[in-house]
Amino acid sequence: MAGSESGLACARCGKPAVLQCPKCMELKLPREGAAFCTQECFKASWSSHKSVHTKSASGTDASSISPERSQSGWLYCLKKGQMRGSKLPHFEWTGPLRPYPISKMRMVPDHIEKPDWALDGIPKIEPNSDLQTRVEIKTPEQIEKMREVCRISREVLDAAARVIRPGITTDQIDQVVHDATIAAGAYPSPLNYHFFPKSCCTSVNEVICHGIPDARQLEDGDIVNVDISVYYKGVHGDLNETYFVGNVDEASQQLVRSTYECLEKAISVVKPGVRFREVGDVISRHASMCGLSVVKSYCGHGIGELFHCAPNIPHYAKNKAVGIMKAGQTFTIEPMINAGVWRDRLWPDGWTAVTADGKRSAQFEHTLLVTETGVEVLTARLPSSPNVFPWLSS
Amino acid sequence: MEEDDNPPIAIPMDEVSLEVPTEPDAGAPVGVTVITGYLGAGKSTLVNYILNAQHGKRIAVILNEFGEEIGVERAMINEGQGGALVEEWVELANGCVCCTVKHSLVQALEQLVQRKERLDHILLETTGLADPAPLVSILWLDDQLESAIKLDSIVTVVDAKNLELQISKHADSGSFPETFIQIAFADIVILNKIDLISEEKEATQIENLKRKIHGINSLAVVICTTRCQVDLNKILNRESYSGESNNRWEELMEESKLLPSSSRHDSGVSTLSIHQPYPVDLDKVNGWLEDLLWEKRYSMDIYRCKGVLNVHNSDQIHTIQAVREVYEVVPGREWHEAEERINKLVFIGRDLDLESLENSFRGCLTIT
Repeated sequence: MAGSESGLACARCGKPAVLQCPKCMELKLPREGAAFCTQECFKASWSSHKSVHTKSASGTDASSISPERSQSGWLYCLKKGQMRGSKLPHFEWTGPLRPYPISKMRMVPDHIEKPDWALDGIPKIEPNSDLQTRVEIKTPEQIEKMREVCRISREVLDAAARVIRPGITTDQIDQVVHDATIAAGAYPSPLNYHFFPKSCCTSVNEVICHGIPDARQLEDGDIVNVDISVYYKGVHGDLNETYFVGNVDEASQQLVRSTYECLEKAISVVKPGVRFREVGDVISRHASMCGLSVVKSYCGHGIGELFHCAPNIPHYAKNKAVGIMKAGQTFTIEPMINAGVWRDRLWPDGWTAVTADGKRSAQFEHTLLVTETGVEVLTARLPSSPNVFPWLSS
Repeated sequence: MEEDDNPPIAIPMDEVSLEVPTEPDAGAPVGVTVITGYLGAGKSTLVNYILNAQHGKRIAVILNEFGEEIGVERAMINEGQGGALVEEWVELANGCVCCTVKHSLVQALEQLVQRKERLDHILLETTGLADPAPLVSILWLDDQLESAIKLDSIVTVVDAKNLELQISKHADSGSFPETFIQIAFADIVILNKIDLISEEKEATQIENLKRKIHGINSLAVVICTTRCQVDLNKILNRESYSGESNNRWEELMEESKLLPSSSRHDSGVSTLSIHQPYPVDLDKVNGWLEDLLWEKRYSMDIYRCKGVLNVHNSDQIHTIQAVREVYEVVPGREWHEAEERINKLVFIGRDLDLESLENSFRGCLTIT
C-alpha cells in the first residue's frame, strides 16, 4: 500500500506521506502526526516530534491532561471502578485511543427509587434470583411498566444524541444523560452497578462497549456509541446507538450502517417459537456478508425487574443458547460488530472492552417484547428522535 | 527515558505490518477435568496422586468451593517431574453477570493458561457440589469462542464401601443419595477403596457395584482403584465434550451390547436407551429434544443424553450430547460401508419412561 494511498500528509510539509516514525509504531501511537514524506522532513521535525514519545512512555499524569480538572478530583478509573489513580496505567494499547481522567461520581436525589446497588455498588437481588435460570413471562401490568421505562430510556438517549459534536467530552454527554434521567424521575441503571462510575457508557472508535465517560473531547471523524439504561417504577429499559462525530470516513459509515442492519434483521425474526440461538445465526450471516466480524464476549440479555437476567442471547453463530421465544418475554439484542478481528481486550479500568487489533467497532441495541404474532420494539425511535442516521432520512 | 538527538530511520508505510497482533500462542485448548465426589471418597487422594505421580505433565489443580462467596480460588500447579509444588492464586472477577458470555470462572482459567508457559491439563476439584450440571454448562463452551480451555470430562470418585451402604439403605425407599446424581453426570467413575471390600466377597461385590453404577449411568467408564492409583491416560484427554471426537460414538455403539433391553420405570436415577434403524429428519429431532429437555415433556427429568443419529439424506453420523437443557447435535465422520446405520440414544435421568421416549421419537422418522 503506497504512502499516497494512506491519505496521510507529511507532518512537516504537508506532501503525501510514505514513511512513518518507528518509535511511534513501537509505542502504538497514532500515525497521524507521525507520518513523513522523506527522511529529511522526519529529521527536521525530530526535536519537536520526539516529545510525543516521552509523554506516552512515562505515563501521562492526570494533571497534564487538564490542570484545573485534576485539582477538582479528576482521576483515572481502575479496578472496575473501585479505585482511582492519578497516572495513566501502563497497558499495551491496541489502538490510538487512551483513557482520560473521570469526574467525581454524580449524586441522585433521595426521592428517586433506586436499585439495590446504588448505595454500595453490589447487586444483591440480581445474582441470586431464579430469573437467572428461567425466562419470565410478563403480566400485562409489567408490560405497561416496561413500555413506560423504555420510552423514558429512548428520550434520554435522544437527549444525548442531540449534543454529539466535535469538542464535547464524553463526560459532558454523561452529564446530559444524568440530568435527563433524574428529570424524568428515574435512576440511571449503570451508576454504581458493580461500581461502574458513570450514568451511561460512551464507547468511542475501537471501544466495543462499556466505555467510561471521561475528559476526552470527541474529535471530527470519531464514531461514538452511547448506551443508556434507566430504572423507573421497579423496572429497567436498555438501548444504545452509534453516532457520527462531524465528518466520518466511508469505512466507518459502512460499519455503523451494517451494524444497524444486523440488529434490524435480528429483530425481524423475533416471534413466538423462534429459538434464542437463531439470533446469532442471523447477525453473523449479515456481518459476514459485509466483511465484518461479530464480538463474542458480550451478549443480549433478559431484562425487567432485573437489569440482566435470562435469557442469554449470543450474537455469534452456532451457539448453544437454551430456550424458545414466547409471548410476554422481554430481552435485548445488542450486536457489537468489528471492522477487523472479533477478539476483544479489557482495559486496566476493568470495564472498557476494545478490539484486539485497534480497529473500530459499532453497536446498536433495543429492548424487545415478544408478542403473540411477533415483536414490539419497546425502545423504538419516536417522531421526536433526532435525524442522525443518513440511511433513515427520506 | 533518554532519546537520541538523531532520529531513527523512518519506516516505509507499506512495510508496516497491518496484521493483527497475534494471539498469545494459541495451540490446542487445555482440557479441564471436573472432579466430584463426597467427602472421604478420596478426591484429595486422587488429586495428590495426580500431582505427585511422575508423569511429566504440567497439571494445575483448582480447589473450588461452591455455595460460598469466593473471590479467589487457590491453584496448585505441578511443575512436572521432580519439581516442587507451586501454590498460586487464581482471582475470580467479582461475579458481574452483566451480559458477558463467559463466566468469571472460565475467564480465570483462561488467564491461568495464558500466564503459564505450558499447561497440559487443569483439574477442578469441587467440594459440596451435589449437582455438577451447572458447572458443566459454564465450562461447556461453544467452539466459536475458541477458548484456551475445553471441558474434558467429569470424574466422580466413589467410596466402594460407602456406596454399598447407601444402596442398601435406599433400596426400599423412593429416595436416593446425592452420590447417585454425581454418578449420573460422570463420564468416569473411580470406584475407590476396593481394598475395604472383604476378601471373600470381593469379586461378586465389585461386580454388583459396577452393575449398580451402570444401572444409573450406562455410559460411565468405571475404574476400580485402591487409594485412587489410576492410569492417568484413562482419565485425562477423554474429550468427552468434543463435538467431533471419535471416541464417543464408537463407545456408544459398543454399549448396545451391555444394556438390558427391558423397559424400566424407575423413580430413582436410571439409564434407558432407544434404538431405531430408520433415517430421521434433523429438524424434527431438534424439536423433539427441545420438548424433552426444555419443555420437560412427559414429566421426565433428563440429566444426560448421548446418542448417534442416522440422518435422512446425510452420509455423516450425527452425534447428540446433552447435559440438562444444554444440548448440541453435530455432524461427524461418514458412515463406513459396512456399518449398520442406526439411531441410538442413551438417556440418564429420573422418572424416565421408555414407552414415551420410543413413541415420541418415532415422530422424527422420515418413514413412518
